[in-house]
Amino acid sequence: MHIIEIKNLKKHFGSTKAVDGISFSVEEGDLFAFLGLNGAGKSTTINILVGVLTKDSGECFVNGFSIDEISKILPSIGIVFQSSVLDKNLSVYDNLKYRAMLYGMSKKEFEENLKFFTEKLELQEIIKKQLNKLSGGQKRKVDIVRALLHKPKILILDEPTTGLDPKTRKLVWDMINKLRRETNLTVLLTTHYMEEASIADNVVIIDSGKIVAEGSPLTLKNKYASDYIKAYKYDEKIFEILDKTNIPYKKDKKSLEIKFKNTEKAKNFLVKYNTLFKDIEIVKGSMDDVFLAVTGKELKEHV
Amino acid sequence: MSKQSELKKLAYLTLRNIKLYFKDKMTFLVSLITPLILLLLFIAFLKSTYQDRLLSITAGFELDQSLIDAFTGGWLFSSVLATSCITVAFCSGMMVIDKINKANVDFIVSPVKKSTLQLSYVLSNLFSTLIIALVLLVIGLIYLAFVGFYITFVDFLLILFNIIITSLFGTILANIIWTFTHSQGVVSGVCTLVSALYGFICGAYMPISMMGQGMQNFVSLLPGTYATVLFRYGFLNGILNEMGKTLPQGMIEGIASSFDVKLSFFGSEVSMPGLVLVITISTIVLLGIFLLINGLKKRKKHKKFANK
Repeated sequence: MHIIEIKNLKKHFGSTKAVDGISFSVEEGDLFAFLGLNGAGKSTTINILVGVLTKDSGECFVNGFSIDEISKILPSIGIVFQSSVLDKNLSVYDNLKYRAMLYGMSKKEFEENLKFFTEKLELQEIIKKQLNKLSGGQKRKVDIVRALLHKPKILILDEPTTGLDPKTRKLVWDMINKLRRETNLTVLLTTHYMEEASIADNVVIIDSGKIVAEGSPLTLKNKYASDYIKAYKYDEKIFEILDKTNIPYKKDKKSLEIKFKNTEKAKNFLVKYNTLFKDIEIVKGSMDDVFLAVTGKELKEHV
Repeated sequence: MSKQSELKKLAYLTLRNIKLYFKDKMTFLVSLITPLILLLLFIAFLKSTYQDRLLSITAGFELDQSLIDAFTGGWLFSSVLATSCITVAFCSGMMVIDKINKANVDFIVSPVKKSTLQLSYVLSNLFSTLIIALVLLVIGLIYLAFVGFYITFVDFLLILFNIIITSLFGTILANIIWTFTHSQGVVSGVCTLVSALYGFICGAYMPISMMGQGMQNFVSLLPGTYATVLFRYGFLNGILNEMGKTLPQGMIEGIASSFDVKLSFFGSEVSMPGLVLVITISTIVLLGIFLLINGLKKRKKHKKFANK
């Protein structure tokens, strides 16, 4: 079942086409990654889905309802924004209480849900603390609890780990994965971190408001990224063959990296010249390679 | 969503806004600047200036010191309340602060009606103003209890009514302005301007009778002036009655006119019910404008959606 469906969505800001006729759908329970540079149109799409922005044209359906009936959609959505929108001068408890009550929760229901999430995320120690006294990672955890407290079907994460250190980033992801396993939560993620996109069930790459590639990370890698044979022990004769066959390679002190268009070609090469290699591995192309191939842009340079 | 549920949301949002205002020490202090200025001015020279003015009017008659102290004290606290009900209302609004902190986006993605959110801003703004005004009133009453207390029960009710209606007037006026801005600069600017100017133009810093005729005519067109005069009436009417036991009626009339217990509108004296009527009607008109603006904004948004 498609829990999110977008058809030919367009949004302009003056002469800038922020979103230019994109269509995609998200299956229930999936982790769906929306990948693109800053300004590619990811956040605009998310903001249209949750009613912060209005669309120029196209159709969007969330949980079976058109976004024109946004009040029917909002109870089923939880969203974590790029930066926290909670009240810095209030305690974690007050922040969560005042937000939870907007979902028509009873006090008892709130306390139960709060207990569930604070235990899961180990927030007991900071629950009475003022938000501006917390570390970046702690704040992010509170943002995520705020988004999940009403137990939505869909969790939208708009670059949730931007600005977080690797340890906190891992912590956040461990928690999201745990929740997905336990509650069949659908997660729509916008990110410019390749490692986050590579664990998704499906990825859409957006560039200048248009979708330039979509599919599972494996499909995308197979379609757009090169494979590599990484050789650590090899016969020097291999260079003669590589030069003769014009196969690109890169050599450093530790290893030799030979680039192939796909796994099939790498495998055939290995079979043919297996006597020349003693210690090797076949490495699949990364999502960075996919992104570079479909957009012509290096993701790392822009973030 | 049921009406009861929407009311519950309104209550929690209002509570959240009030809590946020009182937790933000800077915003809280800024909104108290006007009463603090007044207090300093009073201690520095206003008290003696008004005492001298009162004594010059009553020259040749004996006046009890407790009556003089109660009169100047009543004048101070009527000024403090007249200004605070407006300046605190302007400086205690959470609507723009939420827009700046992007907390409003969090409410847009929550299942709460825009009208509920708007109303919560107005209500919290009003309650925050009322809390501060009532605290100031209690301080004033305690002070007057020490120097000389002449406020009757009816006058006290009048003061309470005036606090509520003036706070409501200030709150609605402020929220009309905040509807059109997302900028902290505009809020700070308006707040500073109101805090600095309002005390002068409503006759709180100096009696209207001391202003030039042109200025007197101008301030008599402003609803805030009527609220100030109503506060003067509430705080000083009892003292004037007490003074009337020993001073001639003409002299009491002179004191009332000199210290704004009575207001003249282009030569005609405005009665106490007249004062109540002007400030009440002005508040109702402002409320109508506020509702109209919000209604038009909502219609514009619906039209935008319908045209997609």
